[in-house]
Amino acid sequence: MATLHEINETAFRETITRAVQDVFKTMIGQSAVHANANEDHNLKSLAINGSQVVGSVGFIGDINGLIYLYFSQDFAQEAAGSLLGMTTQEIVESGDEVVNDAIGELTNMTVGAFKNQLCDRGYPCRLTIPSILRGSNFSIEPIGSTTRRVYRFNIGRHTLVADILMKPADAIDA
Amino acid sequence: MRYKILTVDDSKTVRIIVKKAFRLYDCDILEAANGVEGLAVASKESPDAILLDVTMPVMDGVEMLTRLKSDPALKNVPVVMLTAEGGRDNVLKIAKIGVRDYIVKPFKEDVLIQKVGRIIDLKPLDATPSKAKSILDEANLVVIEDKPAILQQIQDGLRHTPWKVHGMASTTEALDFCAKTPPDLVMVSLSLPDESAFTFFRTIRNNPKHKYTPVFGLVVKTDNAAQQQAQQVGFTALATKPLDMTEVESKIAKAMNLDTSHRYFNMDSGILTLAIPDNPTQHVINEITNYLKPKITEAVDAGIGKAIINVQALKRLDMTIIKVLFQAMQTCRELALHFCLVGNPAIIAECKGFEDTRNWQFYNSLEEAQASLGAISVTSSSA
Repeated sequence: MATLHEINETAFRETITRAVQDVFKTMIGQSAVHANANEDHNLKSLAINGSQVVGSVGFIGDINGLIYLYFSQDFAQEAAGSLLGMTTQEIVESGDEVVNDAIGELTNMTVGAFKNQLCDRGYPCRLTIPSILRGSNFSIEPIGSTTRRVYRFNIGRHTLVADILMKPADAIDA
Repeated sequence: MRYKILTVDDSKTVRIIVKKAFRLYDCDILEAANGVEGLAVASKESPDAILLDVTMPVMDGVEMLTRLKSDPALKNVPVVMLTAEGGRDNVLKIAKIGVRDYIVKPFKEDVLIQKVGRIIDLKPLDATPSKAKSILDEANLVVIEDKPAILQQIQDGLRHTPWKVHGMASTTEALDFCAKTPPDLVMVSLSLPDESAFTFFRTIRNNPKHKYTPVFGLVVKTDNAAQQQAQQVGFTALATKPLDMTEVESKIAKAMNLDTSHRYFNMDSGILTLAIPDNPTQHVINEITNYLKPKITEAVDAGIGKAIINVQALKRLDMTIIKVLFQAMQTCRELALHFCLVGNPAIIAECKGFEDTRNWQFYNSLEEAQASLGAISVTSSSA
């Protein structure tokens, strides 16, 4: 069985970048640019400020992990509108559930695109069902056995934060 | 019969995107949020195709697919997996259960339409029978021809029409154009290198957006092999080089199902005018003959009681023209329209030379004819 440590940093970065770029270009017609300057690895604590809509989807198999995508409130509404072909006004009138579902689906697609590349690299795994968090001024700390990588992407005038938490299958019970 | 497509996905967003993708097609979209609901809807509605997600709560897509395949009433419903699960192992495992196709999210609406279009005969909504467009309406024609002189001939020959001719030298360029602006008709040279005209034809026919777009093959008159191949693969028509642009224009109008009656018939100021063109071909005579009764009936329905049959532009008289004129006059009589003829000196003289036409009375100008019909109106109303 392959181990998580065999995937180097460049491969991780390329995999998540390709996933984010592919999903946002295809589904909402926006280019995503990887913001190198703000890249963080093995952060103990990640602080995200302002109102956020956070999508998370896990993957289980030879590698287990969870990816959180942080959207600012404005970006979440804008992305949901583009995805559904609705104006921002229509999105606001439709309520939070519509935005939550759209962000859940964008996260599902992004994590799917990420983990499908892992599958093809020899780490078979499957997706979990998306969940959504809403809140402000997050401060997130992972458990000790987890490998964490945080990547930021500029999409239009917004920043998308991808927080990847992973551990190999043999560490499940650790 | 409208096709039914069932989308089974726990994401309302995906179900909305699917609905949006098919909004321009003649089909109904049914929805279910998981495998249990999906099986219930499938049993009740017998859909023509199912778009199925894999990861769902209650019952996932793999279980639904397995149950579907074990149900004799549903096992033949084609299933397209539409899922973020796209790893090779997953795809192979699901393919073994029996899916028709597989779309990995993220996806473009076009891909969805194309793949479903391969399963069912998706028709764009505007392809359903409706009032035919007219010869006076604008249309986009794409001509793919690597010989500039031919392209120029087509552009010049159709300049008098409201059609916009978009000339392109390659099929790649044309496919890009078609993706952005669906054309009303395409003409492609069959002598393009590497049989690219045939590859192009197959590509656009596989796209439901262009499934019903007329495609003409431009081919040298003596190239029988290419003509035969084009007919076999289903080209709408052939335009043979050297091109007769009058014939090409007629074929285009026919292929686009255009109402061409405006070329010959006009209703204005309470008078229906039938104008025979200067040198009508057999095709033109046939067109006029076919329109005669419907147009005169339409005029009567619109309250018009007078008609002018105008042969002023006509250069020569022959039996086919005499026949159509007889028919026009007879139809006017049957529908009680007052009518008169307008001619030029040569045609009037020729008519005097035939036994059947020697008693026809002509006016020398439209103004005289209109004045005469106006007098009929005054006489009738004062009587």
